[in-house]
Amino acid sequence: MNDQFERLRGGEELSVDLAGIERSLAELWRNEGEHSDDAVTKAALWNVVAHTDNDRDRSSATEMLAQASASVPQRTIVIRAARGGEAELSSWISANCHLVGGSRQVCSEEISIVAGGDRIHHVPPLVNALLIPDMPVATWWIGDLPPADDSYTCALLDTADRLIVDSMAFDSIDDLNLVSSISQGTDSVPADLNWGRTEDWRIATASMFDDPASRGRLGDVERVRLAGTAGTGTFGERVSGLLYAGWFAHAVGNPDLPFEFSAAPHEGTPGFIAHVEIDLRGGGKIVLEWHRDGAAIIGRAQDIGQAMPTVTRFAVRDTVDLIIRQLSRQDEDPLFGRILPFAARLASRR
Amino acid sequence: LPALVPQVQPNPLREGLEQERVPEPSALVIFGASGDLTQRKLIPSLYSLAHDGLLPAGQSIVGFAKPEYTDEAFRMAMRDACDRFARRRPTEDAVWENFSKRLYYVRGEFQDADAYQRLQERLAEIDASRGTGGRRIYYLAVPPQFFPVISKTLGERGMVTDPEVGGPFTRVIIEKPFGHDLESAKELNKVAVMTFRERQVYRIDHYLGKETVQNLLVLRFANGIFEPFWNRQYIDHVQFTVAESIGVERRGNYFEGAGIVRDIIQNHLLQLVCLVAMEPPVAFEADAVRDEKVKVLKALRDFPLQELERSAVRGQYSSGSIVGDPVMGYREEPNVNPESKTETFAALKVYIENWRWAGVPFYLRAGKRLPKRVTDISIHFRPPPYPLFRKVRSVRQHPNVLAIRIQPDEGISLRFDSKIPGPAVKTHPVTMEFRYATSFGAEPPEAYERLLLDTMLGDSTLFARRDEVETAWTWLDPLLRAWASSGSPAPYPAGTWGPPEADLLLEQDGRQWRRP
Repeated sequence: MNDQFERLRGGEELSVDLAGIERSLAELWRNEGEHSDDAVTKAALWNVVAHTDNDRDRSSATEMLAQASASVPQRTIVIRAARGGEAELSSWISANCHLVGGSRQVCSEEISIVAGGDRIHHVPPLVNALLIPDMPVATWWIGDLPPADDSYTCALLDTADRLIVDSMAFDSIDDLNLVSSISQGTDSVPADLNWGRTEDWRIATASMFDDPASRGRLGDVERVRLAGTAGTGTFGERVSGLLYAGWFAHAVGNPDLPFEFSAAPHEGTPGFIAHVEIDLRGGGKIVLEWHRDGAAIIGRAQDIGQAMPTVTRFAVRDTVDLIIRQLSRQDEDPLFGRILPFAARLASRR
Repeated sequence: LPALVPQVQPNPLREGLEQERVPEPSALVIFGASGDLTQRKLIPSLYSLAHDGLLPAGQSIVGFAKPEYTDEAFRMAMRDACDRFARRRPTEDAVWENFSKRLYYVRGEFQDADAYQRLQERLAEIDASRGTGGRRIYYLAVPPQFFPVISKTLGERGMVTDPEVGGPFTRVIIEKPFGHDLESAKELNKVAVMTFRERQVYRIDHYLGKETVQNLLVLRFANGIFEPFWNRQYIDHVQFTVAESIGVERRGNYFEGAGIVRDIIQNHLLQLVCLVAMEPPVAFEADAVRDEKVKVLKALRDFPLQELERSAVRGQYSSGSIVGDPVMGYREEPNVNPESKTETFAALKVYIENWRWAGVPFYLRAGKRLPKRVTDISIHFRPPPYPLFRKVRSVRQHPNVLAIRIQPDEGISLRFDSKIPGPAVKTHPVTMEFRYATSFGAEPPEAYERLLLDTMLGDSTLFARRDEVETAWTWLDPLLRAWASSGSPAPYPAGTWGPPEADLLLEQDGRQWRRP
């Protein structure tokens, strides 16, 4: 294996001329092919563009996508664009390699672009030129969402098939609405990592209603009570609860479904759902509880026929896992777009 | 019929979740629960389904077998099985705790009426406590000779019900071999339909549960580029290889009476042939897919019995070596007749007599103690119609080959010629490769997981239908009879690709086996 490739594979970045990014990558693979006895395969299922506005986020996005590329091979483009910063535009390349099947190395390409000041407007066309043809594009927006009509954002999202955000970082209900409006103004389908955090709860809840007899009671739901884990009390910590309740209200066809939310401090994992109670008219309830030790959600029905207890595996998913799950899904999640207005409506009620 | 079957409304909370359909809870009774299949495949697969949240909460599993077990002892034995064989390992305590509560055991012999009485009582308790509502799946993980008695007893005791006549569903899963020949297959099917309707019978061929086998349908019918070339105009021939490096191991008794044709070709390999050769079904539904498979089987040309050696070769391994280790010959294996004539290798040249495949040979080979374990299909395309580079001496044209690797290292590759960079026109064959592991990383589900879940959901697309089985036997029976009444298989040293006659089978047509 040639030295340069070995260094890049180890996480080192190679500064390259902007106009020569593709050429440098091609050269890298050619040299590797000539020098290496190992089986190295280049693979990509996605173009993933991570957008950040500071070096700390750029660094963590780079690290997380390097891990994610082991499960979902991708061409990674990490952007740090600081509008108020010094005018600059530079780039680096690197490689993320993972062993598959004992001996085969599968490598994904990584490109970093750092831009500042008015030069950030060169970024969208540059990204456009670097996308692998025929592969879908996911743009992961880290940090504050820009205004929906911002020209830079629109240009960057123009090629994005999917816009990934994390609503746990949202400041207000406006951000929820903004995701809707961005997706309406572009062809990008919105996807939320926080929606992924509710997935196990949705599975656990659905499994309580798989039995036809208990399914018949869905129309009797009169209230959802939900307890979440609190940290510093930000709006974002409540969003997973809002998404869950919005989802449930949507599924039972009642946008005005009464919903109570409480949060208790919880070390290490703020913003997660910990306990759900679904009250039914005429008595009976469904209780879902997170058992941390057992890494599971235990579902129990009280006073509802034969509904059996359920166990759904649940572990606090880290961001890498959520990204992998998002990218493992080729088709859009049409449900999420429909849930957003329900969640926003619930948020506005409080 | 559909109007008579109560339609269950889908769970609206399942919309958008990975598993949009979850089966109704039922009691799955495994006859032969102390056997290898239960421990290595069935229970570990069911555990993995539970781990992934794919089983309904009330789904219950009842083991039925001869050894004296309590529920608790059975659960402990199954925990050990999951620890060793489940795809989802290590076993997770929270999942296991809930899963183990679904496991029950009833001791009994298959001919013992009292045992069925105990089973019935147990099932009634489970219906009352777990909401299984009389829904039953009987898994016959037993040798075929027990099928009639189990089937008959279940029927006589009223343990088989059908939504068509207002009851909950009953389904029965049968393991291969589906008979020994046409007559025994018909007999087995006759016994089955005395108790069950054909649509209640799920004949399991685990090959059909493999991701790559299912991907054959996707490759052909979800992509626009292949189907136009998938015919006699563009395809020169097709090769199938199902190779095992192991011998008969502890199955000498069984294999002596079976041979490789019955063990592999009659089921696994013919299923692959069907999927490669079938016409597009009108829908991705059980009967539509199986109708097309049966048409392929019906179109198989009869073997020319007068010159059989030009179409069929059989072999038997002698001592040799596998990856450097010496191994004994077949006739020295335990429980094998020292003068056995059972074939451990077979190679066949097959024609499918229909519009699409007329004149295209399909070469099939399967064997034990071959150099490595591999299942591979290769589509060999015809050369270009006009040899443009015929006067360029450095250009040697190689046929394009689309290779589909079923196992291991599942994937698809396409071979084509490319110009070697430089001033001269020189070519070299290159491949474009797709590997599941490279692109998708995640380990695919065990075939039994998919097939068990499909049975619970009532989807029989990936199971063999009665006419498929009988048509396959109709075609193979004359060959097996001819072999049984003449000569012996050609010997081949373990660790080689079969006897030289297998190579001649292709060489007589100017072709050769692809090295998989």
